[in-house]
Amino acid sequence: MLKLAWSYMRYYKSQTLAIFASILLTASLLSGISSLIFSSQKNDLANSKAIYGNWHYYVAADEEKIRELQSGGQGGGYRLKQWGKLEIRDVAREEFLIYFIHTDEAYRQMAHRELIEGAFPDKENEIAADRFVLQNLGFSGNLGDTIRIGERDYVVTGVLKSKWAASADEMEVFVSDAFAGRGSQTFLYLRFDEDEKLYRQMDAFLKTYQFPFEAVTGNDEVIRYLGGEAPDSIYDIVKFGLTDEEGNLTYIVLKLQSDYNLAYHGMILLLCLFSIFVVYSVFHISAAKRVSEYGMLQTLGISGRQLGWTLVLELWMLFLIGYPLGCFLGNGILSMVYRKFNGVFGGKGIEATEKGLSVAEQTLAEGTAAAQFYLSWGAMLFGFVFLLFALALAAFLVIRALGKQPLKKTLSGDISFSRTRRIYARRPVNMAGVVVRKFMFANKWKAAGILLSLSIGGCIFLCTMYMTENLKVHAELSLKSDDGLGSEYRISLKSRSLKDTIPEGTADAVKNMPETSGVYATRYTIGELSHIEDEDNNCGTYFQDMNKAPEFERFGGICIPQADGAYRIKYDVYGYEEELLEQLGDFVLEGRIDPAKIRDGNQIVAVANRDGQGNYYFYGKKPGDTVVLRVPRMEGYTEDVLKFQNSDEYYVEQEFEIAAIVSRSLAREEGFLNTGVWSTIQMPCVIMTNSQMEENFGITGYGFINVSPAQNAEAEKVSSQLLQAIHDVPKAVLTDYSAAIRTQKNYLGQQQLFFSSIAAILFVISLFHIVNSMSHTIFARRREYGIIRAMGITDAGFYKMILQTGILYGALTDAVIFLVYTRILRRMMDYYMAHVLQFLHVQAGVPNQVFFGIMVLNMAAAVGAVMFPAWRLVKRNIISEITLL
Amino acid sequence: MCILKLQHVEKIYGEKENQVKALRDISLQVEEGEFTAIVGTSGSGKSTLLNLIGGLDNPTKGKIFIKNREIGALSRKELTIFRRRNIGFVFQNYSLMPVLNVYDNVALPATFDRGKHLNRRYMEELLRELGIWEKRKKYPHELSGGQQQRAAIARALVNKPQILLCDEPTGNLDSATTVDVVGLLKTSCRRYKQTILMVTHNEAIAQTCDRVIHIEDGRIVTGKGRFPGKGGDGVC
Repeated sequence: MLKLAWSYMRYYKSQTLAIFASILLTASLLSGISSLIFSSQKNDLANSKAIYGNWHYYVAADEEKIRELQSGGQGGGYRLKQWGKLEIRDVAREEFLIYFIHTDEAYRQMAHRELIEGAFPDKENEIAADRFVLQNLGFSGNLGDTIRIGERDYVVTGVLKSKWAASADEMEVFVSDAFAGRGSQTFLYLRFDEDEKLYRQMDAFLKTYQFPFEAVTGNDEVIRYLGGEAPDSIYDIVKFGLTDEEGNLTYIVLKLQSDYNLAYHGMILLLCLFSIFVVYSVFHISAAKRVSEYGMLQTLGISGRQLGWTLVLELWMLFLIGYPLGCFLGNGILSMVYRKFNGVFGGKGIEATEKGLSVAEQTLAEGTAAAQFYLSWGAMLFGFVFLLFALALAAFLVIRALGKQPLKKTLSGDISFSRTRRIYARRPVNMAGVVVRKFMFANKWKAAGILLSLSIGGCIFLCTMYMTENLKVHAELSLKSDDGLGSEYRISLKSRSLKDTIPEGTADAVKNMPETSGVYATRYTIGELSHIEDEDNNCGTYFQDMNKAPEFERFGGICIPQADGAYRIKYDVYGYEEELLEQLGDFVLEGRIDPAKIRDGNQIVAVANRDGQGNYYFYGKKPGDTVVLRVPRMEGYTEDVLKFQNSDEYYVEQEFEIAAIVSRSLAREEGFLNTGVWSTIQMPCVIMTNSQMEENFGITGYGFINVSPAQNAEAEKVSSQLLQAIHDVPKAVLTDYSAAIRTQKNYLGQQQLFFSSIAAILFVISLFHIVNSMSHTIFARRREYGIIRAMGITDAGFYKMILQTGILYGALTDAVIFLVYTRILRRMMDYYMAHVLQFLHVQAGVPNQVFFGIMVLNMAAAVGAVMFPAWRLVKRNIISEITLL
Repeated sequence: MCILKLQHVEKIYGEKENQVKALRDISLQVEEGEFTAIVGTSGSGKSTLLNLIGGLDNPTKGKIFIKNREIGALSRKELTIFRRRNIGFVFQNYSLMPVLNVYDNVALPATFDRGKHLNRRYMEELLRELGIWEKRKKYPHELSGGQQQRAAIARALVNKPQILLCDEPTGNLDSATTVDVVGLLKTSCRRYKQTILMVTHNEAIAQTCDRVIHIEDGRIVTGKGRFPGKGGDGVC
């Protein structure tokens, strides 16, 4: 059989080459894309570790447990790679919470809190902290100076590396072991072996040391890549999604993503299916060309099983050579371009994920270090085993299909066409056209299958392009919106008091600088929306725990039930420059933004909430409805007013009409309500004009100013001028995002180019498939074409007839692509992008030129693919064609 | 009147050491209305001769004249048009289009020549004459061998060609059907004043023709015909 298989391969060189090429191309694609996603996730993990710390869980522990751990070493079921200790010795409550912590070396290593200047504290009155904390505590900058925290003075001995994911409300100062606070609470930071599922190791660890499960907190951004939480079973996830009132498709997709890394495993599975589809299709055509020979072999006595094995061996021989070569090729090429497409991978570009940092902070935190390329051995192995068995199955399916028809039919070819009793020639008709249509639709199911398979590549290409276009819009909108990269420079206040503002004079000075162009000064205050009806009871359940969170204690909770059953919800309130307000037009969900009308009618723009599944809502309110907003008066302002529990004289309360509801704001305050995870998942705010802020609430100063440099302005000069301008403003700082913006724009360009290239590669593979299939449709009918030629059709007539075939196939394929893409796939993609990827606005379509380009290219490929074999047929002797069995 | 003339026709397949001389120095002529049988053993060259006459293949040497026109001098397009207007083919394996019913199969070559304007009355007459009018909506694989061959004959006759070339038209048929088909060919020959060249293995059938040409090893063998033909063998 092996010999027979080998002989077939050698005899049918072009077919063998076609199968080999299909295996090579699909293996390259499968292994390359899998490695890309794998590398992306590995780099994402590395970034997360750099930002959030290289530890997995922390658990509250007492001295006894720590001693036990120190003496116990490794237990069964877990492998602890490193553990560190953080002990909170005291807490001071100033504008923010200040923790006095004592740590060991292992903790500092895991948390990336290495010393960058000076020394660690040794005495009781010595402290070390990062620059952000020290600045906020009023540190002069000279080591050895003292700062006052609470009632005591402390000597600063060292400066530590900053924490990227720092909370603005909680600050840590490192103290020596000699520091005796008012109490002590110790936490163990644990890092397990990452080759095993973390949740299993953690369970074993908890059992060994009898820690309660509730005492554990995970480093979510890190452990989500490493199986940090026990996954629900797929059956349970699907069952819940389909049967529970709160479940839906989005739930299933998101849950599968979080528990089973759907993006990676789903993509591998899809690529495997795409690969087997392409290889099977090429192989099927190849086998169909030899169908009469197989019939012949069967008449000579070869069994179906033996024939099957001949085909399997033929495929496996090609696969064993083609697959590793394809993997080598795919990974080789991608590993070379990987570094050039730094921004596409490693989670560096704009994503719609819920991370604790804004895109701006994330970009600055990651820097521009090259992402590393990792080989996805798992995917390659899975692909190998999957395709190995799938190819065997494919071979046996072909043989089974052959076995189903009598030998005579196998020998004489396919007569399984639909038979209408209509006589076409009874009326004036183009019989060549009839023959073309008869050939195509002889078997309607087969025709539908062929058209569908021909359209798959185009559909995939259009979907990829659609996604890429929307990713571009999403990324641009994200950059522009409140992710922090809307402007190159940002002047803000390192303060937690509403009393601290940037004076109007400073804002005017910045606006008048020749080095600046777009200067948007924003007024800010904290507010409370009252009488909010909560039909879905989200407030009651969701905010119950949130209200008690320490960062929201300062505001008396986030969402407070009123006596009448409605709620009062804390909201950021912004006053935008009218020009900036107009730019919110890109984010409008409902209503219209007309700054003059908003100003004159004293209206507001509300930023909608977005739930975990990407649905936007604003408590059932629509443009034209009103909301009641309360904000603290600046006269007699104290920290207490932020709780909104003082008497009415401390607040201004006013009713506003909603002009529009938008998906995002364009500039946001980074303190106050926007702390911790709240800052990235909700960002609730209402927006009005700056003049309204002054007229309604008497706010004249600004919370922050976003500044863009003038064209051709020198970066250094701009920043020095800005620093000069804010020199006399207490607590004002300047952040330079220009490098981060450049980096993100560069990443965006890379993403566009990369995904378009991948789409193009998929399309090329599909064109290869089209050419192969179309060529087969012509060669499969060569006897019939021979008869037609013998009957006296001229060469020109014959070419015309074949051209008709190509055009008809091309047009129908285009029609299928158009219908499947616009009626089904685009809707699915819209849902996926809006609810799973949670793009800001799904509004970009595939450019018309690209859309029609695909249609034309499909048509050209179909026409070219039929004309070439037609040309070869014309060269052949008619007799040899019609005497074919 | 001589309708077909071959002058020193040779056909060689392959090259160098693989050369096979299928036909060697064939010269003959056929009169209008003659029903000629070409007989010979397998591989003797009779089908090759028929294909050369029909313009489906080109001779290596020599000239073929049909209605005093040398077909070798015609362009590809001219030859195709000339062929479909003047020559009808009937093959042993019928060579019907499997996706077309009998009527459409028969109409197909006519549409190549006359476009959409078919002589449907003639087609009906032809199908009735050949006894397959009732089967006009059937597809080839739904017909018996004899019915398929009748359909093939009808298709060959639809353009009213002056020459009908039949390559073992009864090769796949039983004896009763064979007699039927040959009878039909003869009737057609008389009715439409057609010249028929029929390749056959069947000596008995050959003997019923006006003339028999024997071919052996690519050459015409003289003296074997019991009934000397009108045109004579080998000499024009």
